[in-house]
Amino acid sequence: MRIKVIRIIIIGLFVLIAADLVYVQVIRGQYFYHLSTNNRIRIVPLEGWRGRIMDRHGKVLADRRVAYNVMVAPQDLHDRQELFQFLAKVLGVDQKTIETRYAQKKYALFAPVVVAEDIDRDKAIILEESKYLYPSLILQEGFKRSYPLGKNSAHVLGYVGKINRVRKERSKEYGYSPQSIIGYSGVEEYYDAYLKGGEGGIQIEVNSRGQQVRLLSLKEPTTGQDISLTIDSDIQAIALEVLEGKTGVIVVMDMDNGEVLGLTSAPTYDPNIFIDAEKQKMLSRIFNNSSAPLLNRAIKGLYPPGSVFKVLIAIGALDSGKVTPHTTYNCKGYYELGGNKFRCAHTHGPENLIESLTHSCNVYYYRVGLILGADMIHQYARQFGLGSLTYIDLPYEDSGYVPSRRQRSIRRKQRWYAGDTLNFSIGQGGLLVTPLQLVRMMSTVANNGNEVQPHVIKAIGGVAVEQYNFKRNIKIDREILETVQKGMRGAVTNFSGTAHVLDLDDLYVAGKTGTAQTSGKKLNHAWFVGYAKGEEKNIAFCVFLEHGDSSHNACLVARELLLGMQAKELL
Amino acid sequence: MKRDLAKKIWIYTVLIVVVGLVALYSASYENVRVPQKIFYDQLLCALVGFVIMYFLGKVDYRKFYDVAYGFYALNILLLIFVLLGGRHALGARRWIEIAGFSFQPSELTKLSLILILGAYFSDRRPKLPYGFFSHTQMIFWDLLIPLTVTVVPMLLIFKQPDLGTSLLLFGIFLVMLFATALEYRYIFGLLGVCLAAVPFAWNILKPYQKDRLLVFLNPNIDPLGAGYTIIQSKIAIGSGQVFGKGWLSGTQNQLNFLPERHTDFIFSVIGEEWGIVGTICLVTLYFLLIYTSLNIANQVKDKFGMFVTVGIVAILTLQVVINVGMVMGLFPIVGLTLPFVSYGRSSFLIFIIMMGFLLNLSKRRTIF
Repeated sequence: MRIKVIRIIIIGLFVLIAADLVYVQVIRGQYFYHLSTNNRIRIVPLEGWRGRIMDRHGKVLADRRVAYNVMVAPQDLHDRQELFQFLAKVLGVDQKTIETRYAQKKYALFAPVVVAEDIDRDKAIILEESKYLYPSLILQEGFKRSYPLGKNSAHVLGYVGKINRVRKERSKEYGYSPQSIIGYSGVEEYYDAYLKGGEGGIQIEVNSRGQQVRLLSLKEPTTGQDISLTIDSDIQAIALEVLEGKTGVIVVMDMDNGEVLGLTSAPTYDPNIFIDAEKQKMLSRIFNNSSAPLLNRAIKGLYPPGSVFKVLIAIGALDSGKVTPHTTYNCKGYYELGGNKFRCAHTHGPENLIESLTHSCNVYYYRVGLILGADMIHQYARQFGLGSLTYIDLPYEDSGYVPSRRQRSIRRKQRWYAGDTLNFSIGQGGLLVTPLQLVRMMSTVANNGNEVQPHVIKAIGGVAVEQYNFKRNIKIDREILETVQKGMRGAVTNFSGTAHVLDLDDLYVAGKTGTAQTSGKKLNHAWFVGYAKGEEKNIAFCVFLEHGDSSHNACLVARELLLGMQAKELL
Repeated sequence: MKRDLAKKIWIYTVLIVVVGLVALYSASYENVRVPQKIFYDQLLCALVGFVIMYFLGKVDYRKFYDVAYGFYALNILLLIFVLLGGRHALGARRWIEIAGFSFQPSELTKLSLILILGAYFSDRRPKLPYGFFSHTQMIFWDLLIPLTVTVVPMLLIFKQPDLGTSLLLFGIFLVMLFATALEYRYIFGLLGVCLAAVPFAWNILKPYQKDRLLVFLNPNIDPLGAGYTIIQSKIAIGSGQVFGKGWLSGTQNQLNFLPERHTDFIFSVIGEEWGIVGTICLVTLYFLLIYTSLNIANQVKDKFGMFVTVGIVAILTLQVVINVGMVMGLFPIVGLTLPFVSYGRSSFLIFIIMMGFLLNLSKRRTIF
């Protein structure tokens, strides 16, 4: 009977269905259960507020503010034309712009699309009030970084931005999500872990349209810690002003405790342009600028120190007993070695050590350098921290380079000649330092051999940071350093001193100028590294002008800086 | 014995209807998309349906034999009328309104086709395959005529467009043809011709129908569009696991992830909220109902009764298997309801009427 066949077929079909039910509901049930949970549960991250950055007087350098973003939810967008027209009118932009932005960013029905970022408060209020007319309009509150002082301290502060792939990999375990805002360069990067707010989030149950049905759990975002810096924004303002239009560095450090009061690198940039979406176009101009405004020259710029290095030669020669303060050499304008004439700036005549520092006589140091020898010069340079990091609490510091005979023979398979020693003795010939290294060296000399640790952090979350407040003795006799100090003071006080323009009333200033030759036809680098003992503070400072020609230019800038600080009673 | 069959049919039908109502209550529970009113609508339908079923059990079913041809003709007219001036809904013309009630003539066609095919097949007397044109005659009278009778409403329904019901009619025809004494070679010959015609049929499908078939092959080609329904439905059924998430607690259901959950996808709601316990129970109930019905077909000595029973068994089996298979992704989504459970007056009442027929048949004694 055919009914029997039909019966068998029916039994077969039902067995198949039952088998599939077992497969889907029992064997793969867990998997589908997981999918159904994912379906309905969304985690919406909530951004934590980033801590602020203050200068030493509590003036806010990096602030945070509420930013309003305009979003459109595609699933509720029924009155497309009207809404876009309205938005265009309120935001004051072309309707086309909004529509293209919407079309570009839309990817799913349930995901709101950001059509305008960081709009004005007034506009936000207008939109908020008319929200009930347009169900698809969403006004999202977020936080935005702002730098109220603009270019002031830009290199110390750094900037913030969305986390990139490298940083994400590196800091995966520290609670960063792909949407995290992270600090780049400067304090923003170095102290990011403290500044960063703890990211919170809400777990919500949504329906098929992505609309929230109920709140399942909430983790409140936390606010990051405020940070106080040792930086003095007034000094920074002066430094910024005196470096206007120049390429160079001003570093001002409290030589008693290593607090960096001012650290300005020019040309500089306004960190706000990394925040503001509308200024994004300026970014490429900064990135492509040949004078590299993003480079923090104070810690990353490598330059030959020129005559400033003579301070170290003098100390080394005295310390090793090769010369005494009274050792006198005659300067006839040049020093002849192997048929080559190594020149001096002037014909100084007979000079002792103190006079040689005051007048910055090359010939004197050619001779002392030859007596001392390249190995000893290398050793003293390292002893004063050249060629190694200062470990200032800023990222991407460079260690510089101190040449040595051994290095040269290993690396380049070249011999070291006496001529190299001569160049080395006046701070040339492959010697590269950062301005900050020289400031620390100068402070060590001025402190009679006590080396301080440069740092910019003062307090985190109201708790003072003490870990940088230590001193290390460099083990050089006090008399030696005092002799050198006399020479450097003479450079300022003597009418014939190289830095006589810095002879100010009511201020003890001493220091060493430097004019470093550069390769090619470019102008020389101009240095002035010195220290000043004021009523308020004892500072070590450095003025460096990249291709600033004569060191006299650096001295003029230093004079403006000191006068400016004096005028504001900062010294 | 025969009283017993009737009793069984009553029990199974009522149980299935109750399961359906429970699921429908959940599907429409506190929801905007699917208003609660459909539950009460279906409840009313069920009550009215049971009364109809009871009275159909009393009527002499041979009366239906007399009206089969007229009923068919009327149905064809209604289908034509639908195409000309039916009510639009969901992109198709399927409904017509009579005296304030809207119903789908395509649902009615399931019944009228079973009746006319039953009547026609039972009229045919086996011809001895002698004589010059006997083969040709047999093909003509036993195959082509009933095929034409089926294809006419099929085409009309396909035009609505309603591919699922259209193919279902063909399925009914095949099963009923199978129950006749026609030789296998003709039946399989017909199937062969149909298979060969499939590639040509592809081009007359509407784009959305093509989409559905392609999505059936791989739901992930369009997870937010055409594939969305099937993915969500599978998730719903699978996430029920063994004991389900509990009545009114299915997240896929309550949070609107399941589209059309009160009609075609009601089985997913049951699967999610009652787990495999619920689905196996429901499928078992269907199986018992169909199996019992098939016993009736075995016992009825009257040929019209036998064919009608086979037809009803065929449509029940096909709709259950295709609907369940479709919500689990075994079949393309063709829009067939789950008998007695899916919301829909026309569909529900037609199946109740069919059960009335079965009741009636189960009580009849041998006529000859």
